[in-house]
Amino acid sequence: MLTAAKNQIKVTILTTKYAVMREMLNKATFLSNVIFMILNNSTFLIQWFLLLSIKESIGGYDIHKILYLWGLASLSYGFAHFFFKGAFHIGELINEGKLDSYMVQPKNILISVSTSSCSPSAMGDIIYGFVLFFVNQPSVLNFFLYTLFGITGALIIVLNSLSFWFARTDSIADAGMNLMTTFATYPGTIFKGVTKIILYTVVPLGATAYIPIDVLTNFDWKYTLIILGFTILFVFLAFFIFYRGLKRYASSNLMSARI
Amino acid sequence: MKKYLYAFKFEVMTTLQYAFNFIGKMVSLFLMIFVFMNLWNFMYDDPSQAINGYTKFQMIWYVSISELIYFVTRGRQTCEEISKHIKSGNIAYTINKPYDYVVYTLFTLLGRSFVSSAFYTTFIMIIGSAFTGALPALTMVELLATVLVFALAVTISLLLVIAIGLFSFIFEDSSPMYWIYSKIWLICGTLFPIEFFPVWAQNILKFTPVYVITGPSRLIVNFTVEGFVETLIAQIIYLIFTVGLCELVYRKGMKKLNVNGG
Amino acid sequence: MNIIKVSNLSKTFKVKLKDKGLKGSLKSIFKTKYKEVHAVKNISFEVEEGEMVAFIGPNGAGKSTTIKMLTGILYPDAGEINILGIDPRKDRKKLAYNIGTVFGQKEQLWTHLTPYDNFRFFGAIYDIPNDKIVTKIKEFTELFGLEEFINTPVRNLSLGQRIRCEIVASLIHEPKILFLDEPTIGLDPVVKQNIRSLIKKMNKELNTTVFLTSHDVSDIEKLCKRVIIINNGDIVLDDTMENLKYHYFNKKVIEAKLAADVNVAEIAGVDIEKQKGTNYKLSVDTTITSVAEVLKRLRLENLEDISISSIPLETIISDIYKRKN
Repeated sequence: MLTAAKNQIKVTILTTKYAVMREMLNKATFLSNVIFMILNNSTFLIQWFLLLSIKESIGGYDIHKILYLWGLASLSYGFAHFFFKGAFHIGELINEGKLDSYMVQPKNILISVSTSSCSPSAMGDIIYGFVLFFVNQPSVLNFFLYTLFGITGALIIVLNSLSFWFARTDSIADAGMNLMTTFATYPGTIFKGVTKIILYTVVPLGATAYIPIDVLTNFDWKYTLIILGFTILFVFLAFFIFYRGLKRYASSNLMSARI
Repeated sequence: MKKYLYAFKFEVMTTLQYAFNFIGKMVSLFLMIFVFMNLWNFMYDDPSQAINGYTKFQMIWYVSISELIYFVTRGRQTCEEISKHIKSGNIAYTINKPYDYVVYTLFTLLGRSFVSSAFYTTFIMIIGSAFTGALPALTMVELLATVLVFALAVTISLLLVIAIGLFSFIFEDSSPMYWIYSKIWLICGTLFPIEFFPVWAQNILKFTPVYVITGPSRLIVNFTVEGFVETLIAQIIYLIFTVGLCELVYRKGMKKLNVNGG
Repeated sequence: MNIIKVSNLSKTFKVKLKDKGLKGSLKSIFKTKYKEVHAVKNISFEVEEGEMVAFIGPNGAGKSTTIKMLTGILYPDAGEINILGIDPRKDRKKLAYNIGTVFGQKEQLWTHLTPYDNFRFFGAIYDIPNDKIVTKIKEFTELFGLEEFINTPVRNLSLGQRIRCEIVASLIHEPKILFLDEPTIGLDPVVKQNIRSLIKKMNKELNTTVFLTSHDVSDIEKLCKRVIIINNGDIVLDDTMENLKYHYFNKKVIEAKLAADVNVAEIAGVDIEKQKGTNYKLSVDTTITSVAEVLKRLRLENLEDISISSIPLETIISDIYKRKN
């Protein structure tokens, strides 16, 4: 049991390492992707500059919380797409026959799929996330928490995306991702009622953004543990959903679903 | 001319085949507008208040229409498709074809945009009126004028995306260029009308393509004859400019391709 | 001993249909019509350990579908599969340790790594301990002649070298069975020959069972002793290569250039395939007459040039395809 886990970890580390190496073959392209992503993200600061000049705090979010909001969203997204990009492109993997290749290997299919590719621009997101952290009241405890929430956020994003794949259309999966990223950079407090409920549950921005930001500004053990617990739950849920989707794929009778 | 119309028709048919995909996109569109509706609901203390000359009603419709144009353009994917076409070398085969590559691509994209505009506009009308309680008030003539400006805005937007895609001839990966362009377009026109920016920035933005692409949105929430004429003239100038740009990049690129042996 | 046992296997697919033109496109949004394609219809066969089986058929016959069901990628609609005592549907992982797969032109190797690093990676996938994998790689490098390029990044290899490495990578864990789905598709004849000798060697030295699908008939002819032919989802033939060649078509082909014309049409059991002046291409039905007899009738001293051959396997097989239709 333990050796099986050890072996799985060994293979996963190798796969991730090679996926990243593959992107770094052309150093110039890799760097320009990173730099452009940082610039890309910075342009949104203009938006917040405009909004904050109209009203000093929006939904209880002042400049510090906004920076956390943005930084954390960037960091989570960056971790998710740098290490687990494969999970967002299952449709393509199927078309290239790669999913089939992973299905005949004696290793965990979900992990193999997720770590199969790496997005170099996501490194820009990661760097940007940390830059925003350091310009914004950094402290040792907060650094640890920030990184932790970046990781939990990433896992939730990946697994949320998988559950959209399960719905079996690429455009729904895309829309799902869009949903998360669209809402992720706006203070949760501007939403009311049903929307708020949805954001805390189905699209768990509560766990990836709102609660972590509250913890970062006002540390609280309880909430930190809640986030961790939620993430672990999500991980299990996602494996379950993925394997159900896989079974459906294998039993598939639709010609268009496979090449 | 007939062959370009055929390309248009063919793309309309193909797009209808994948009509289901629109549902996913419409959800995204809905979400964008929903977020902004919430945001502006929050920012405006009461409906009659005007921020930078726009009431809440006007703001929400402005964002809706400019997002509509953004979605219809489908820039990122189009840019990637053209980029791939060039990087794979497949574009070399177009030199033997009896049509102009830029015009052909444009008509194909217009075909697709025609169908998507129909879907998205209907959708926007429904959710827009649900969010704000009414449709923007326009007379028949004003509406027709707006449709014209809308069509031109989409055409220019598509041409710009084609141009960026064609830049793959020069820079191997033109997606970073597209990101920057789309971000500027998003922030400085789509989400916020030009009037929200400091005066010095406004003067610069007035000359950028973003201004002509967001023309329809401005006219729909605030139709004036001078606004219409000004936008139309600016659009015609930009149309000529972007077609010229595309042709220039294409020709230069194809020459370079031939010299290197593909 | 049976290593693969397939009973009453079936799989059906649904394909979307659309009417012509613009109206059709609009219609298809509201009502989708489907057509059923019976890719695999109730097939059964068994394979013994160490056998080299060719599973051939025209395009769309059901070959890839079958191999996908055997390897656990696709679930059958009906029937049973038993490979090494394992049901691919239930014990995917367990089966994965014991089989190797090579799918057409789909690459599994990391192109920026060397074959050596790739083999180490696949060794890790199959849980092979470090020391064992190093010896194994050395062994295989020698056995399959990879020394020249074992340390060159895969993307710098020629296509033939690449595919050889792909196949060796799928063998690194010494699976009992190797499934190959169109391994030589799109390759030039020299490379094809190269791959075939590799597969032959592997079967000889390691006693690996080989299950090969292809629609390249020479692959089959050169490699396999057993042939299963599938067409339109049905198995139309399951026999040895020998039987196929000598019992299905008892024909010989004689190409002869004669000095003086002979009334060939009169000879029983002989058909004129082609004739140009005194150049003949004849097919001889050896159940009616013999080659020797025909030569006698043509008269040896009359022969300016002669060539005697068997019917090409290609012709035999396409005739079988046509017949069973």
